[in-house]
Amino acid sequence: MTSPPLLEGRSLRRVYRLGRVEVVAVDGVDVSVSPADFLVLEGPSGSGKTTLLNLLGLLDEPDRGTLLWEGSPVAGLDENARSELRRDRFGFVFQTFNLVPVLSAAENVELPMALAGTSREARRARARDLLAAVGLADKASVRPDLLSGGERQRVAIARALANDARLLLADEPTGNLDSRTAEEILDLLRRLHEERGMACVVATHDPLVRRRATRVLSLRDGRLEQAA
Amino acid sequence: MTLLRLALRNIGRNRRRTLLTAGIVAFGFAALTLAGGFVAQSFEALAEGTVRGGVGHLQIASPELFSGTEAETLEHGLGDSSALARRAEADPAVREVLRRIDFFGLAGTGGSALPFLGLGVEPEAEARSMDTPDLVTAGRWLGAAEDDEAVLGGGLARALAVGPGDWVTLFAMTVDGVLNARDVEVVGVAGLPVRELDDRYLAVPLASADRLLQADGTVSKLVLLVDDPDRAAAVGERLVATLRAEGATVDFRTWQELAEFYRQVRTLYLGIFGFLGAVLVLIVLLAAANSMLMVATERTREIGTLRALGMKPRGVVRLFALEGLTQGALGCGAGAALSLALREVVNRSHLLMPAPPGVAHPVELFIRFYPQAYGIALAGMLAAGLLATWWPAHRAARLPIVEALAHV
Repeated sequence: MTSPPLLEGRSLRRVYRLGRVEVVAVDGVDVSVSPADFLVLEGPSGSGKTTLLNLLGLLDEPDRGTLLWEGSPVAGLDENARSELRRDRFGFVFQTFNLVPVLSAAENVELPMALAGTSREARRARARDLLAAVGLADKASVRPDLLSGGERQRVAIARALANDARLLLADEPTGNLDSRTAEEILDLLRRLHEERGMACVVATHDPLVRRRATRVLSLRDGRLEQAA
Repeated sequence: MTLLRLALRNIGRNRRRTLLTAGIVAFGFAALTLAGGFVAQSFEALAEGTVRGGVGHLQIASPELFSGTEAETLEHGLGDSSALARRAEADPAVREVLRRIDFFGLAGTGGSALPFLGLGVEPEAEARSMDTPDLVTAGRWLGAAEDDEAVLGGGLARALAVGPGDWVTLFAMTVDGVLNARDVEVVGVAGLPVRELDDRYLAVPLASADRLLQADGTVSKLVLLVDDPDRAAAVGERLVATLRAEGATVDFRTWQELAEFYRQVRTLYLGIFGFLGAVLVLIVLLAAANSMLMVATERTREIGTLRALGMKPRGVVRLFALEGLTQGALGCGAGAALSLALREVVNRSHLLMPAPPGVAHPVELFIRFYPQAYGIALAGMLAAGLLATWWPAHRAARLPIVEALAHV
């Protein structure tokens, strides 16, 4: 039995204007993500993976097409409502980790909870648990500049889980990691996906990621090429 | 992790820049508070000089005298002035009551006669309460209350070519409109700070003026000194009500209402101080804005991350505002310490300043601790810090998230 879609994009189109030149980054893409998905978006550089991921993560708005979250269109939401939806339902993992350098690992994990107004005690306890879950229980008070690349990405993953995200979006999460660390991170993502029932959408051109996918969407020149 | 803690950590990121910006705020704060303390001290000295220069804290006279409609000397004078003065002295808030006669006439020697502005005073009481007796540069202040003697302004004495020990003849109209004359001995020459007054000033004992004008105990006004200058108006109202109830037609004016010169100087000083303050705040604003713009540019990707994680645009604005305010507060703290230290140094140096307007001699540079200046400087600097964040913060908050995340 197929789970109902968590997120659904219909005929999504996104065009960037560089001076007089129009670049169609995503062109008429239909995509749906269900809670059971570990969906990989693959394709060469410039194929539109990141743009599609940004549209799915409400970081950007399509020029055309419809995006539905749990069956409701998100187009009518104002910026504050979109922020709240991202904060409460989405988790983000970036290629360059994007941790706040002045905060410790634990404080970085606490940040989305602080934005959601979670109490300090609850934040601290949950940050501790999440860091333990990603294998960094002993690095809670360490600042990002003293962590390795793999450790930083683990902190970023813990941060993405802070508010019990239902959908984790990762853009090239292994792009800055060596292959062994990349394997570890992907295993962690896959484990968390299975344990927590959290949908994952990963944009990558790393074949290591593809191997862990439940579904793969290939993009080329902004169009969906095939579904595997 | 509160927004404030994040703001505090952020301003500690680039310590050199934070120190520079906070240093500019501190400089602005110290400059404002020191200037404020100096101006406050100047106002106080000017007010004291005005009061002790002859105006007193309060004057009681006929309404016509205050409205300037008295055509003849003592036309609307206060009859039985001794009784009125005793009544005023009985008020517990009154420290001193001085009776005065304002008159004018001609002062002549054998060869020439010049107009003068005369003042009939009680010599001892004036010497006790006013500064004018201290301005005598040659001879002495008026002595016995009954003697026919005079102190002349330096300009008038020079024009008449007289000095202590010489005699001059005073011509004036009596209260009945008859020309009268009396010889008085010049016992002193005073150097008054305002030249126009110095050229016309002539003081004689009240009794002498009374004889010249045949005033029969009538005076122009009562000049009062009170224990609490801030309550001068209340004392005036109380006394005038009492005197009116006893049949006298009197009114009162406080020294602030009478001292036109004080008001003009105060307005001028406030204008200058306000302008300098505005320039200082503008400098701080520009420096802080420049710093904040750099911060916003450097942290563009981080702001994109915070927005992706769910921080609302107004959260970004708040974060920047907190950083601006915290930086401003740090600068103000340092500025307060700097200001207090410099104040101590200046006050202990006993530096002499040129005579301010209305004062005859140089004054020691003294910077008062003026809490209002600290309050104004704090408000000004924090407002500058906050305002400096406005544009960078709104710019950062409005930036598309994907654009911010892609910022290199």
